[in-house]
Amino acid sequence: MTAYGKPLPRITPDNRPFWDATRRHELALQRCAECRRFRYPPAPVCPECLSERVEWVAVSGRGTVSTFVVFHHRYFPSFAADLPYNVVQVQLDEGPRLTANLVNVPNAEITIGMRVEVVFDDVTPEVSLPRFRRATT
Amino acid sequence: MTIRDRTAIVGVGTSRFSKAPTDTPMRLAAQAFKSALADGGVGRDEVDGLVINIGWPLGVDYDRFAEALGLRIRFADQSWTHGRFVGPTLQHAAMAVATGLARCVACVCGVSFIQERGLLGGPGDFEGTREEGGTHEENPVYGLTAPAAGAALSAQRYFALYGATSAELGAVPIAFRKHAALNPAAIMRSPLTLEDHQASRFVVEPLHLFDCCLVSDGAAVVLVTSAERARDGARTPVFIAGMQGMRAGPDEFLFATPGLGIGQQREFRYTPTEEQLSVYRMAGVTQKDVDALYTYDAFSPLVWFVLERFGFCGLGEAAAWTQKGRIELHGELPMNTSGGLLSEAHVSGWNSIAEIVRQLRGECGERQVRGARVMQWATAWGDSTIFHS
Repeated sequence: MTAYGKPLPRITPDNRPFWDATRRHELALQRCAECRRFRYPPAPVCPECLSERVEWVAVSGRGTVSTFVVFHHRYFPSFAADLPYNVVQVQLDEGPRLTANLVNVPNAEITIGMRVEVVFDDVTPEVSLPRFRRATT
Repeated sequence: MTIRDRTAIVGVGTSRFSKAPTDTPMRLAAQAFKSALADGGVGRDEVDGLVINIGWPLGVDYDRFAEALGLRIRFADQSWTHGRFVGPTLQHAAMAVATGLARCVACVCGVSFIQERGLLGGPGDFEGTREEGGTHEENPVYGLTAPAAGAALSAQRYFALYGATSAELGAVPIAFRKHAALNPAAIMRSPLTLEDHQASRFVVEPLHLFDCCLVSDGAAVVLVTSAERARDGARTPVFIAGMQGMRAGPDEFLFATPGLGIGQQREFRYTPTEEQLSVYRMAGVTQKDVDALYTYDAFSPLVWFVLERFGFCGLGEAAAWTQKGRIELHGELPMNTSGGLLSEAHVSGWNSIAEIVRQLRGECGERQVRGARVMQWATAWGDSTIFHS
């Protein structure tokens, strides 16, 4: 097995529960314990009501492609073999949007509004990245 | 209290613009500074304020510039190193003069994007690794990097929502290339056709190469002083008539109209209110009085977004609105008449501020907007400054 050469997430006290959940192949988001609003990226206060009371809640992992791009220019040597590769933003059914890649879909078939679901890619023993595939149901 | 017409630009200077590294940013900035002093008939020792938006490692910092040029500064200010702060930096200069914190403020930009192009995406872009995303939505874990990516995310969604096309977007760089052809200082002066635009490689699809600004070196300096002092200057003063600040918050993504829904930006149908466009009230003008509009055209979609944000056309209408020469020199609303960042040079927008001043003085020769009295700087992120001669 060759070493994973691509950038890895910066794990911080605020986002550690998110990455701990992905290792278990769960997608979890912060939800305000006062006003019940889901939020992303992880943050110490609710942007709606400023409450610091928060719970981490497993979410469906289902959503809709809200926008996407296809990289043709080689910025990262570690992504060179993937060119042209897509990056999507997915609006989760719970509200927040995640950035990720869409797998097993040719770039020409990606459309805004496409239904997708999360999959997990164990890129290192410590890190599992959420990506998305076309929804199966 | 209003700042209307209390300050003015009294001198501007620019260096040579280049796509090959020739000089250090300090040398370019020093040339532009001396040329601005000569232009305005301003003595070096009159300059007691210094504001900068692009510092290390892309450009010249305030402390070294003051030291190198022998300036005794009592109002210094330097923002986060991003081109977007051109408008707010100019506004700080005007506010410092209007409040008596300085008599004459030099806005200095000396920048080398060429020698530091590794900062513009990829492994050298340490800023893009900010926890939970870079300022243009960078997320290197998924290969999402470079400012172009942020503009591409917005363009793709805009295309889908409003049925706009890349070929329609081509009208923007084609118009600015025509302007650059009339500007001896511009780097890119050969004609650009729609075929060239469509055949150019994708950088980050849907953006083609010609939707992306130049990576260049250059400097520009703008001298701001009081209206009274400016009336005694060597040239026609260019008054700062109105201002509004840059926006941020849940309705915003830097490279989109409010409500487009990029990143965590809230999604809604934006129609500007008078309060959101208070720059016009302060300046005592409306969009119809604006003889030319200048914007930060790092990527061609930003031109559509600013037109919609400031109510020159309705939401979703900019693609059609910018066709048939409307934003060209002899069109209804000339934009970026020097060629802008797309075709003149990327001096982080200061080249466009210098162009506004030269236009309002009637110094622009073949590319002069005839009878120009009122010009506006405005950006997709909501700041604006209105000028008149």
